[in-house]
Amino acid sequence: MSLIDTQQAFLAEVCADDETAPSTLGMAIYRNAYRARLADALAVSFERTRRWVGEAMFDAACAHYILTRPPQTWTLDAYGHDFPGLLAELFADDPEVTELAWMEWQMQQAFAAPDRGELTPLTLAGAGLDEADWAGLRLLPAAGIAYRPMTHDLAALWRALAHDLPDGFMPDPVTEAIMVIWRKDLQPHYRLIGHAEFAALALLLDGASFGSVAEQVGETGLAQLGEWFAGWLGDGMFSAIAR
Amino acid sequence: MPETIPHFTGFGLGLRKDHHADFLRDEQPVDFVEIISENFMACGGRPLRTLDAVRERQPVIMHGVSMSLGSPMGLDRSYLAELKVLADRVRPLWVSDHLCWTGLPGHNSHDLLPLPYTDEALNTCIANLKLAQDVLERPLLVENPSSYQAFQQSTRSEWEFLRLLAQESGCYLLLDVNNVFVSSVNHGFDPLEFLDSIPRDRVRQIHLAGHSQGPEGMLIDTHDAPVCAEVWELYAHAVARFGPCATMIERDDAVPPLADLLAELDLARVAASVPA
Repeated sequence: MSLIDTQQAFLAEVCADDETAPSTLGMAIYRNAYRARLADALAVSFERTRRWVGEAMFDAACAHYILTRPPQTWTLDAYGHDFPGLLAELFADDPEVTELAWMEWQMQQAFAAPDRGELTPLTLAGAGLDEADWAGLRLLPAAGIAYRPMTHDLAALWRALAHDLPDGFMPDPVTEAIMVIWRKDLQPHYRLIGHAEFAALALLLDGASFGSVAEQVGETGLAQLGEWFAGWLGDGMFSAIAR
Repeated sequence: MPETIPHFTGFGLGLRKDHHADFLRDEQPVDFVEIISENFMACGGRPLRTLDAVRERQPVIMHGVSMSLGSPMGLDRSYLAELKVLADRVRPLWVSDHLCWTGLPGHNSHDLLPLPYTDEALNTCIANLKLAQDVLERPLLVENPSSYQAFQQSTRSEWEFLRLLAQESGCYLLLDVNNVFVSSVNHGFDPLEFLDSIPRDRVRQIHLAGHSQGPEGMLIDTHDAPVCAEVWELYAHAVARFGPCATMIERDDAVPPLADLLAELDLARVAASVPA
């Protein structure tokens, strides 16, 4: 039996479901270790989600995920990438579950995302931009930036889960709200923002120039854009001026 | 590529999250720290800042778990490239990984899976190891893992396999004494025969760890308990055979306060100083 055939048969047995009994005690140990390691990784990555849905439901979701989505890359840290998607299927009537899992995942991604600089109001002020420079100004996003629409006030749920969850707590529904996550000062940050503000922010994050965003909001929206921009800059949502 | 790794003598610990604050706050009485390479690859932020701060005080060893030296499909080039980036940044005493395979393309088990000790597996490991050493521009250390499954097609022992691997690839060895003990119980061989068959000049590091009792007399390498008496005895034998080399205690689960591990490391210092 060739080495590759041996390894294919071995891995198939390690990852098999419970309908196939392991052939040896050793294989049972490898199978148990495989499942336990992946379940532990998910429990660490989604600790708040686990508390929100309850251990039994979470463990059942993990078991399903482990059987249907084998890890594909060399880093175990990437294993939970598709877990929020599975929860969207399993908790279709409870969208806050998926939103919480997504937020938890992205907060961790932001924590360890590859380094970028940080564009502060001071550094931008020191860049000496004239009017033409401002019109053409393009910015690079902060490390770990991610965003998605939310149907519930996940900021409130996130804060509640940082402590003992009050009995009966349920986040309020929200409309046209987008959660934005990024890293500043080595810490992941989040902010739930409205649709109009996000529409302008998304243009900048996608590489549009400040001038084109100003055109989008129009003459009447310029003051609001200036206020938003100062907030984004102060929050550290950008890493540098694009050159 | 440098072909030799000088001896480094000392006692160290794995750098684990539970102890990051201790290492950042004070200089700890260790001669080196060992990191899990994958925890710091392709990342930034606080983990990398912590590593940068620690390596200003202590020599660092990079220990990997995902190279998959026994893969007949070859090594993951993107993994090697990321490992090289980290090694260039850290400038470690050395880089190590395990005698194992971890999965197949598109499916990583994240476990150190056992190899059959055949000519094909040996040639596979030698070729992969030579490639890794070329990319990383340094000889590597290869560690013996614990195993729970043997293969009928094996034509030689694990220690003979390791000896030939070192001889043909130029690699050095990271001798995990706990793994020798665990595998000796699981597969019924004499751990002293293992130690006495390993070439004296190739061992640069020794791992010590605890294990747990598995089903039907099997032992499992769990790194969640203090080093047991039998492993301390084997360690003394190893020190007598291989001379002083870098020794560290691995603890990855049920991690105690740093002071407890430092006290256990003192036991290693004592054991290494007593003639076997």
